[in-house]
Amino acid sequence: MTFRDRARGCLLGLAAGDALGAPAENLSPAEIRRRWGRLTEIEGGGTDDTEYAVFAASLLVRHGHALTSADVAAAYRAEIVPLVTGPMRGAGFSELGTVEALRRGLEPPLTGRAHLHGWSDGLAMRAAPYGVFCPGDPAEAARLVEQDGLVSQSGEGVLGGRAVAGAVAAAMSGASPRETVRAALSVLPADSWTARNITRVCEVLDRPPTAGSGDAPARAPGAQDALVEALHAAVVVRHYPWTDLAPEAVALALAAYLVGEGDVEASVTFGVGLGRDADTIGAIAGAVAGAGQGERGVPERWARRIGPATGKCLPVVAGRHVLDVADELAAHLPTDPVDPVDPVDPVDLGGLGAWADGTADGPGGGR
Amino acid sequence: MSGDRIRGAFLGLAVGDAAGWPAARHRAALHAPWSRRLHRELDAFAEEHRVTTLPVPFALNQPVAPLAVGPSDDAEWLAWTLLTVDEPRAAAFRALGPDIRARISVATAIGNLARGVEPPASGHDNPHHFDDAAAVRAVAFGALGRDPAEDAQVTNAGDGLLGARAMALAVAEAVASGSAAEAVRAALTVLPGDTAIGHNARLALEVARAAGDPFAAVPALDAALLDHVYSYGVGAAQTVPVALALAEVSGGALDRAVPAAACLAALADSAPALTGALAGACGGLAAIPEGWIASARTLAGCCVPALAGKDLMELTEEFA
Repeated sequence: MTFRDRARGCLLGLAAGDALGAPAENLSPAEIRRRWGRLTEIEGGGTDDTEYAVFAASLLVRHGHALTSADVAAAYRAEIVPLVTGPMRGAGFSELGTVEALRRGLEPPLTGRAHLHGWSDGLAMRAAPYGVFCPGDPAEAARLVEQDGLVSQSGEGVLGGRAVAGAVAAAMSGASPRETVRAALSVLPADSWTARNITRVCEVLDRPPTAGSGDAPARAPGAQDALVEALHAAVVVRHYPWTDLAPEAVALALAAYLVGEGDVEASVTFGVGLGRDADTIGAIAGAVAGAGQGERGVPERWARRIGPATGKCLPVVAGRHVLDVADELAAHLPTDPVDPVDPVDPVDLGGLGAWADGTADGPGGGR
Repeated sequence: MSGDRIRGAFLGLAVGDAAGWPAARHRAALHAPWSRRLHRELDAFAEEHRVTTLPVPFALNQPVAPLAVGPSDDAEWLAWTLLTVDEPRAAAFRALGPDIRARISVATAIGNLARGVEPPASGHDNPHHFDDAAAVRAVAFGALGRDPAEDAQVTNAGDGLLGARAMALAVAEAVASGSAAEAVRAALTVLPGDTAIGHNARLALEVARAAGDPFAAVPALDAALLDHVYSYGVGAAQTVPVALALAEVSGGALDRAVPAAACLAALADSAPALTGALAGACGGLAAIPEGWIASARTLAGCCVPALAGKDLMELTEEFA
């Protein structure tokens, strides 16, 4: 499979997961089941996840591996801040907080620290293009996405972006789902909320089947409701009214990707069924799975629903289609896949030490 | 004299807590749930009918005492800290019953502890790691000359932890010297300029000094520190800098610093309390208006029910 194919699969999967999850945002899993059973059909358009990812890709096309947080701040000042004249439609707290910080004349990293939403998933939702840009090199993808993140996030919000970019970079080189999640962990400090949450969801998925079920818990029909509950119990913050917490959304999205065994439709539909920040969970799961499966991995009926961005959240990206954006990114990549990923070690399903090891090199090692 | 200043810090915090408008909301928690529901419905009514007569906390078939001017959450958490100050901190939080009300950082930390997530992760893996719950408790540690870190990291991290360290140092210095300027200088030594709280503390001091007076500084502090994007005004990176700036620009005069803090509506839940603690430590108990002490000394039990009726004056005697 070519990098171009994977890039198109990644961004199409992101846009599809975003659009599919949008109506389920902030709903409980029980309410989602009541309304849709399993939510499988895209109803409307995508949201900020897709539009900010398109913006992030444009930064990479312009600056490549030389991208700095100063470049990102300059782009915000030139292309985002002037267009926010009234309501900032579709923006999360971290985006509006960043715009306010930039208006005050702050520079990164203070722009990402001065507001209270450093941990938001605003970077994680747009991190996939950085992974696309660095196939097989999670460490470089994480380094690059951090340049973007320093403008709008701090702490765990930056780490959430690193995890997603690292995962996509691994999936772009054909890594298995388990290897891909391990790559995400490889670019995180082990002593972080995000790494702990990813480890927690992996522990939930590795639990032996419950009594009475002869099947693995993730696969047994009807057992998925219990799995959803267990994932919520593992990582969802109860006493908090907002759902855009990167450590939570990233862990739930990677859990969905593992439950779906890397299949785009299975991963995304499970992911949006988790509720919470469902559009972002769907976008992340779709991006990682799409990078692994390529364009044909995204269901045709979903792909047909993805049109050019409307610019309803970010006017500057209006009219851009994710597939064109993917082609632009791919034009910067080698035409043939470079060295295949290092042979994948068989993953010990009980080997939590391996999941938690934040020092391990991701697939592909350094550049 | 320092005993008077220690008690000044504690009662000053309670007075500031009582002076902010959210105190009445917190104290209304003592009323029946249906009474508070009525309040919410009146709010919706005002919205729907475009009438500007906003409901204030009120009592219908309920005792009216909780709605008088009085202390609320911050004074109770200070008292709880004093009463448990010699206990290992995580254990003290674990021993809290289910009936308490607390900031999101504390509620999340207690949930983390119950799941086996120990400090410092209990305070770090926490959406409100940045809030000032630990900074309020740090007033107790600072006045007693103790390190607040073990306590703070149970519920907070990052700016929340720095806020606690800064408050403890500032209160300790104010108790020792009575100088607000020295207290601020001490606080700044632990607030790096590349953090939000360190940046904001220096900015707050700059604009307050330029205004030259606590009340005159209110609009400038609002413009400099608040982006008005987020809905919970208890960020340590905002409230602690306001407390430091108002304490300094008032020369440690509680009766000038606290009213100004209470004018910052978005921060009025805790900035007046932190300001009152600092100014109270500078001027001592004797400098706090008698009427305010009378109103603020008796705890309501709206957050820590076991403290209902507790006299903060009596409680502080053994520490002074």
